[in-house]
Amino acid sequence: MAVTVSAPPPFAATADRSAPTRPESRIPPRAADLRRACHSLVVRAARRIDVAEAQGRLARAVTDQLGTGTPRLWTRRAAAASDDARSAAVVRTEAERPVHPAGPPVRVVLVEYTDDVADLVLVAVRDRISREALTRLAAQVLDGPERATGAFGPLIPPAPSARDAATRPSPEWGLGTPARAGEFQRVAFRLPAPEAGTVPGDARAVAAVSLALACYDGRPQVRLDVVPAHSPTGEPSALALTVDEDGSIAGHLEHCRSETSGSPGTAAATHAPAGVLLVLGRSLPGVRQLPFLAPPAPVTLYVEQQPDGSATGTCWFDEGDVDPEIGAMFAGRVAHVADQLAQLPGDSPLSAVSLLNTAEAAEVLRLGGLGSAAAEPLPGTPATIHGRITATARSRPDAIALTDESTQLTYRQLDERAAAMAEGLAALGADSGRVGVCLDRDAGLVVALLAVLKAGCSYVPMDSRYPEERLRYTASDAGVGVVIGDPETFPRLDGVRVIGPKELEGLGTDRAAQGSARRGDSQDPERADAGAASAYVIYTSGSTGRPKGVVVPHRNVTSLVDATAPDLGLTPADVWTLFHSSAFDFSVWEIWGALLTGGRLVVVPYWVARAPDEFHELLAAERVTVVSQTPSAFRQLIEADRQSGPEAGLAVRLVVFGGEPLDVVRLAPWFTRYSPSRCRLVNMFGITETTVHVTAQTVTPAEVLARSRSVGRALPGWSVSVRDTHGRLLPPGAAGEIHVGGAGVADRYLGRPELTAERFADDPLTGERVYRSGDRGRLRPDGRLDHLGRLDNQVKVRGHRIELDEIRSVLLAAPGVEVAAVTLHQETPGDSASARIDAYVVLGAEGTERRAFEAARRVLPDYMMPATVTAVPDIPLTLNGKLDTSRLPRPRIGSTEPSAPRIEDVPGTGQNTGPDPEQDTGPDIGDELAGTVLGVWSDLLGVPVRTSDNFFELGGNSLLVVRLLSELRSRGLPKVTTRQFYSNSSADRFIALVAELVKEAAAKDDAS
Amino acid sequence: MLLRGKTAVVTGAARGLGRTCAVRFAQEGADLFLLDVAEDLHGVPYPLGSAAQLAETAALCEKHGVAVATAAADLRDPAAVADAAGQALDRFGPVQILVNNAGIATPSGKQTHEITEAEWSLMLDIDLSGAWRMTKAVVPQMIEQRAGSVINVSSTAGLVGYRHFAGYVAAKHGLIGLTKASALDYAPFGVRVNALCPGSVRDDPLVEGRMLSEIARSLDVAVGEHEEVFVRDQPMNALIEPRDVAGAAVWLAGDDSRQVTGTALTVDGGFSAR
Repeated sequence: MAVTVSAPPPFAATADRSAPTRPESRIPPRAADLRRACHSLVVRAARRIDVAEAQGRLARAVTDQLGTGTPRLWTRRAAAASDDARSAAVVRTEAERPVHPAGPPVRVVLVEYTDDVADLVLVAVRDRISREALTRLAAQVLDGPERATGAFGPLIPPAPSARDAATRPSPEWGLGTPARAGEFQRVAFRLPAPEAGTVPGDARAVAAVSLALACYDGRPQVRLDVVPAHSPTGEPSALALTVDEDGSIAGHLEHCRSETSGSPGTAAATHAPAGVLLVLGRSLPGVRQLPFLAPPAPVTLYVEQQPDGSATGTCWFDEGDVDPEIGAMFAGRVAHVADQLAQLPGDSPLSAVSLLNTAEAAEVLRLGGLGSAAAEPLPGTPATIHGRITATARSRPDAIALTDESTQLTYRQLDERAAAMAEGLAALGADSGRVGVCLDRDAGLVVALLAVLKAGCSYVPMDSRYPEERLRYTASDAGVGVVIGDPETFPRLDGVRVIGPKELEGLGTDRAAQGSARRGDSQDPERADAGAASAYVIYTSGSTGRPKGVVVPHRNVTSLVDATAPDLGLTPADVWTLFHSSAFDFSVWEIWGALLTGGRLVVVPYWVARAPDEFHELLAAERVTVVSQTPSAFRQLIEADRQSGPEAGLAVRLVVFGGEPLDVVRLAPWFTRYSPSRCRLVNMFGITETTVHVTAQTVTPAEVLARSRSVGRALPGWSVSVRDTHGRLLPPGAAGEIHVGGAGVADRYLGRPELTAERFADDPLTGERVYRSGDRGRLRPDGRLDHLGRLDNQVKVRGHRIELDEIRSVLLAAPGVEVAAVTLHQETPGDSASARIDAYVVLGAEGTERRAFEAARRVLPDYMMPATVTAVPDIPLTLNGKLDTSRLPRPRIGSTEPSAPRIEDVPGTGQNTGPDPEQDTGPDIGDELAGTVLGVWSDLLGVPVRTSDNFFELGGNSLLVVRLLSELRSRGLPKVTTRQFYSNSSADRFIALVAELVKEAAAKDDAS
Repeated sequence: MLLRGKTAVVTGAARGLGRTCAVRFAQEGADLFLLDVAEDLHGVPYPLGSAAQLAETAALCEKHGVAVATAAADLRDPAAVADAAGQALDRFGPVQILVNNAGIATPSGKQTHEITEAEWSLMLDIDLSGAWRMTKAVVPQMIEQRAGSVINVSSTAGLVGYRHFAGYVAAKHGLIGLTKASALDYAPFGVRVNALCPGSVRDDPLVEGRMLSEIARSLDVAVGEHEEVFVRDQPMNALIEPRDVAGAAVWLAGDDSRQVTGTALTVDGGFSAR
């Protein structure tokens, strides 16, 4: 067979080398950069100019004084008269056309109009020819040297300050679109002449801009670059001002005057640019000045003083840095603030200056959803949760309402069983007030919750896995007389009757049989205000160390479902899961969202909720359509789904995220398998105090690409606003505290009138009650809310809301602990599996780390437990008296006898230096297996592990359990369920368990 | 206004196709830097564009409200070309469009071996090397901006041969080669290069074109007779008008053709489809 070798085409090799395959990454000096470097001047001449003579004067002036070659006097004939709009457009084009660095530093164009009027347009490089020099050059060209004395220098050497565009600080409030960088917008505004006073106009401009900036930045320290009006160089000075809102207006004006007068401040060139540049200027008769052709800073303001003491302003902003609506709003704020500075008496406090006028405030509130309302439910719709469910039980009695591992209840059965249990409660005398519910998660839990409502009571959910101390605290703080729970395990409390659900139901059935049953309230016509009765009290972490009960009425829950059902398309065809603990208010959404829309609720057993693969199987088997998840849990579900193969068999059409901030990037793998049209993902921000949800944002691949932090718009009937520390409304873009108003605002904190008054305020702006969330956020110009974290010490760990101060209070109560500090540590940002709570204690005589740890364990639920407790001689503080986390030592892991030796080199981790003498893996466990297990533990936990260690005391958590079990399976070891793991969470027991499972598997193989 | 905000340099702008393109670009909002040799050249047997004609083109363009500047330059002189490009940069900053339109049609009408050394050199120096010199002077500004469109006005003579026109045909074929090679060079920088290949363009008295009459003269036939021969060859049964070519140039100059580079676009009434 002949082998042909094809010759390379001629020139191919050189052709490939001759050009880069992709454009160089360095950004060339684009039009925008050229324009930033230039300024211009337009001088009107109301007569015909002899072009040849003017050319001669230009040549003399330039060659004499600039030493460059003779520039040409360009002429342009406009096709219209000087006052024609087309002529204005022509002169603007010329005044904004930059000169190129390769050419002369100045371009002079004579624009001639049809009416014997001309404009001389001069464009120059800013750091070669100053504003004043340009003015003199114009006079020389038009009138000759006799009219324009003096040299028109100085020539400034090429700028040392040439700013690298990439390092320009974008203001946090700008919300620009990076893809639009280099596109500019400008907004004109006016600053009034003062009514009285002698503060110069420049200082008044600085005062207005700095005050507006302090509000937008949310801090009193303001950095501003300022180019003074008569700057010979055009170089900005860096101003650092403190805006003292408790001081007087006169004081602020004086502060700005003293900072701007006298010697120019530090050259900004030696500082990082401030992001906001204020250029000051003077109006000249017959002259139009453009101090730059494109704004040099993300936000650039030019303020030109007029002879009458007023000033005209132009605010330029780069759309890459500042959204056009926010930019326009900001310019308006500067003018509005300047008005008030000019009009209010000098001794008024600066905080009396508002950022928004009444109409603007109303507009911002409307943007946040004020005045929006969900469609009214049909007339006759019951006002209570249980009233509506009873109505469903009548209209669709045989529809399935509830499913768990062993039970299936129709709406009729659910209603009847709950009614029986309600009778039982009535028999116990609980016909109003609060009833504790402390049950494992199954269908009976849901029946019990509904029963409590039917009995006219509100339920206080308690997680049966909480420590005794916490159950005791919750039951007594809520003042419950009855707890539906396990009398064997629930802590005994005076005056509290604990009764099992079966017994309670039996009690009710007996009573009904005896004919002494009261008529269930569901059969009575509802009172008009029935919806105002409280439905539940859910306890949330409290900073004083005492969890606080949030009282939520029925109508909040029905409103939530009415507000979301149309948009989310919730119908009786939907199948929901109850995944979360009833003590977590996400369960309110799951339970009542399903039952109030006539859907079917599938109760997810505790252990299935902790095993993503089993949860995934359940979703497929039950044909679940609506899933509510914390982002942390959903990440595990994505992984379980991926491992389930190409056809996962899910019927899920809606995933609702809640409980913690969502990092949208983590959703990318989901979208590779499910299009948003098949399964909608909705991120909802909410707080227990506002009834689960406040806002909703549908997440699509577009949000993932944009790394959106938006939590969406307020639900219909809810409203959000962002306010500063004085409670003043902030405009879109500015960050502050999120305030929530509308249908979801809870009644109060149970038994905490002061705290209630502090957080639930009557809002003078809206006339409504609003909840101050303590969350930091900002409104976007389109009305969507960005969530920016907490203002205080509250953290979210794997969906749980935790006040670090509560943990601190608990530690302080432990014997021998004198001082305590608690930090949240996240090894990998965005990976909540790596989140860990560390505690530091200063110990007294009898204190030990172990005793502090044990004391905390008696009170705190698992999710709040510190992974470590480390004794320190003292707690380092910053100069401001805040905890200085940077000076804390590395935590000692696990707090278990921290001085005990550890295996530093575990077999199988790649650092094998031989067996450790202290390692005791037991006689029948292979060293290889132990080594593998300890190696995987160590890799996941990031610390050396020995056989006596407990996974959770080394910082392990539920997410890491899932990773651990999946990792071991991938190494060929048998499947261990999460349930098995939780009962064998020390390394030695776990290794023994795995060894046992290996043996079993081998025996099975032998048998077959 | 397909070209608003852009600046175009057009060579050979005093009359004919150059003038038509310039005015059409002005209609589309482009500012213009117009070049022409603006004098007669030794060795070219017919009068070339004049300074007055160049000023007339500028005035026609200014009527559309755009800014226009002119310069005279002989494209055979590298220094003159560099100076003109510098003036364009001074006046307008970096340009986005370059139309290499300048060219001569004769001396022609001879068998290939009859062409003199001087005639051959003159033809290639203006029609091919002139375009290369302008490219060399202007494209760096485009590379700097990562944007630009170069239009080399070739001819159907760049695609097929014509008897008795070896110099012209060689130069116009060369222009297409220049187009393809430079398109590859500049594609990574966002700069496009395309050739336009008009068929026989009618001499339009409005723009003072005289190409066809000069060709007819060199072939020693009457213009009308020559036109008739060409019309017979045109499937569309009409000669190309200057505006047909200018319309194609607007498309190549603007962003509508942003993925078009290295191509030779014929505007020939179907002539080359045969």
